[in-house]
Amino acid sequence: MAFIELKHVSFTYPSADNAAIDDFSLSIEKGEFVVLFGSSGSGKSTVLRLLKKEIQPHGVLKGEMMINGHSLSQDGMPSSQVGFVFQDPENQVVADDVLHEVVFGLENMGVMTNEMRSRVAEMVHFFGAESLLHRKTHELSGGMKQQINLASVLLMQPDILLLDEPTAQLDPVSAREFLDMLVRLNEEFGMTIILAEHRLDDVFTIADKIVLLKNGKCIAEGEPKQVIETIWDSQEQPFIPNIPTLYLSTTKKENRRDIPLSVKEGRNWVQELNLIGQSKENRAHKEIQDKKLLEVKDLLFQYRKEGAAVLNELDFTLNKGEIYALLGGNGSGKSTLLKILVGILKPINGKVTLLDKPLKAWKSLEIAKKVGYLPQNPKIFFVHDSVEKEINDTMQKWNITNQTEVNNLLQRLGISHLLHNHPYDLSGGELQKAALACVLLRKPDILLLDEPTKGLDPISKDSFSKILHNLQEEGITVVMSTHDIEFAAQNATKCGMMFQGNITSENEPKEFFKGNYFYTTMVQRLFRHLPDKEIVTLGEAISLCK
Amino acid sequence: MKGRFYAFHPIVNFSYYMGAILLVMINQHPIFLFVAFSILITFHFFNDCFNHMKQWLFFMFTTGILIFLINPLFNERGRHVLFEVMGHRVTLEASLYGGMSALSIISVLMLFISYNEVMTPNKLLFLFSKFLPQFAILLMLTLRFIPLMRRRLDEIAAVQVSKGISVKQGPWKERIKKGMLYVQILLTYSLEEAIQTADSMKARGYGQKKRSTYEYFRLNKKDSLTLLFLVILLSICLYGRFTGLGTLTIYPLMESIGLVPVEYFILLVYALFLCFPLLVEIGEVIRWRLLN
Repeated sequence: MAFIELKHVSFTYPSADNAAIDDFSLSIEKGEFVVLFGSSGSGKSTVLRLLKKEIQPHGVLKGEMMINGHSLSQDGMPSSQVGFVFQDPENQVVADDVLHEVVFGLENMGVMTNEMRSRVAEMVHFFGAESLLHRKTHELSGGMKQQINLASVLLMQPDILLLDEPTAQLDPVSAREFLDMLVRLNEEFGMTIILAEHRLDDVFTIADKIVLLKNGKCIAEGEPKQVIETIWDSQEQPFIPNIPTLYLSTTKKENRRDIPLSVKEGRNWVQELNLIGQSKENRAHKEIQDKKLLEVKDLLFQYRKEGAAVLNELDFTLNKGEIYALLGGNGSGKSTLLKILVGILKPINGKVTLLDKPLKAWKSLEIAKKVGYLPQNPKIFFVHDSVEKEINDTMQKWNITNQTEVNNLLQRLGISHLLHNHPYDLSGGELQKAALACVLLRKPDILLLDEPTKGLDPISKDSFSKILHNLQEEGITVVMSTHDIEFAAQNATKCGMMFQGNITSENEPKEFFKGNYFYTTMVQRLFRHLPDKEIVTLGEAISLCK
Repeated sequence: MKGRFYAFHPIVNFSYYMGAILLVMINQHPIFLFVAFSILITFHFFNDCFNHMKQWLFFMFTTGILIFLINPLFNERGRHVLFEVMGHRVTLEASLYGGMSALSIISVLMLFISYNEVMTPNKLLFLFSKFLPQFAILLMLTLRFIPLMRRRLDEIAAVQVSKGISVKQGPWKERIKKGMLYVQILLTYSLEEAIQTADSMKARGYGQKKRSTYEYFRLNKKDSLTLLFLVILLSICLYGRFTGLGTLTIYPLMESIGLVPVEYFILLVYALFLCFPLLVEIGEVIRWRLLN
């Protein structure tokens, strides 16, 4: 009998018409690394939560769930056997001090101090987090917080680790570090890990088993390579990571052997191909006019007088029609820069010019008319308790009377059916679009987006990328900060790397990603060893290999 | 201040402050209070040259002077009339009483300033978690929540300003309305997010068993001996106080200010208790000198 066994599990939330989980069966052996994937609302989180008794959602549950031979519906299994790490690094922190946070679970279990001391000493050492112990939790970056959360859960010595999109909010380097930690736990301690994820490029290479969910049903399940092959010709194709997509779309069915997943496997395959010539696909470049919309010169910003400078000697120019992607680690100053550009924060030194007029001379309402800003967390954007009210309010405030135009916009963004919902009930992608609608209503010239793809599934991301291109066609200039490199490579006309409060390098995507190791796309990693093949996006790679 | 006294076990720190505050409040005798005042002033000077006291100085002395003046102004009782102003008798008794209250208040304030530095939230949390585990966790959550709410409010203000809803412009009525709007968003948002925090707490087994606490501080032999020493000193002072020593009876009939011989002994013990942190720091300095 398998270690974890779900048999015909169905689950319906109260007052919901459809089941969130529908006749779902899954068996997991001890020590397996399992990845759950699927679009938002497909039931990944619900499955994970059902497995952890303390946080099981309320609703009607049918079917049987067994862990290690114990039925979950009965008592008798210690709860510490299952550890759970959530998506948002910030919200799962309880204490204000790292040490308190780390021992929180142990204290709840009533572990004696001496044992706590030895467990903490060991675990902190394993994570290399000695220097963090006496820091305040809110001073830590998202990546560090997530590691502390993991450490806190691991101290309770669980056999099973459940993780709900743990890297969704982390920058690429931190996300990679976090996954490496999971691999170590899985390999060195034989911990059973079940992970729900949207960013699949990395996790598919380390998973033993992947499970695709759709509308609460299990559509495909098995070894990564096998599952990829079965879903290739289906609707679920967008979920397949770049390297296998490249392989599958360029190799004919009868020639297919082993599907490459990692960069290493991919390179071996590329080496066998005889690639001649350059990619035929040229990016459909829209002519960028040399008209400066925004200009920043020698910017200095710090939050506190005695604190370190967040932005230092920063220069930045934005031309009309660009889609500018700001990349860089957590805490490198991306969000701060955006806030300065929209006039929320005032620079301590330096000049910001919006449309040939110093930003200081603009009134804040006038700035709001020209520049639209979408915060990292769209929830705090909404003032009213339904999307419709929010939109009406915006219309009133900006004297917009053309109802058909508004309806068109909603139609285009695909959110007309959500008008009566409370903003907090929407999924990440829907919330993003609803906030975007409110911003676009006032027809800004410049759109500033702070991590617009955070927590979006591949399908919403595609639709968002289409929206971006439409906006560009209409002549709206976009600046976005993002951790999503593939997204930046596909959509940006220019990328900038933020480091230590400065834009250290800036270029067109092709040039920009050439020299990077971490901040680069999977496809670029695949082809980087080939001389004079500057390939960054999947589209270019496919046209080259065909 | 990160001296030797700071490094003692929290229970020692806590006992000292509670004892000192108690003594300063109950020993209402000019000589006792003057001694306490001098010791505390020296202590603050020795620690950081009044660095932390600076911001409180104005408040401390205005309160002190006010109390010192108000009592003789409203209170005419007493046999020793010092002088008379416009038919109002200013008596020695009332002035002494006012002076003692002022000294006592100032001393308590000085103790609190130093308490604030030594008893970090961490130490307080540790002390309470033993006796009142539920209170301790509440304290911990609050400690995190207050700065968190502040940061969230800043964030909300930033986003709303970018939408053109600012509290810094427009008529007052509008501003207040917008301000309330901010708070409303803050509350809905925080409640929504707190669900996740609650889940995270439950997922880590909160409320299932009796909580234990991770003890950051170990009570070693030195701490226990110090504690014993402090308790003995404090008991002697309290015993003296309850037999009527170390306090000046003013009404109905004022005693002589001079001390009886046993009171000198009590004063010594009293001074020794209050001096304790100072002695510890001085001892440390001497030891360093000798070692180098």
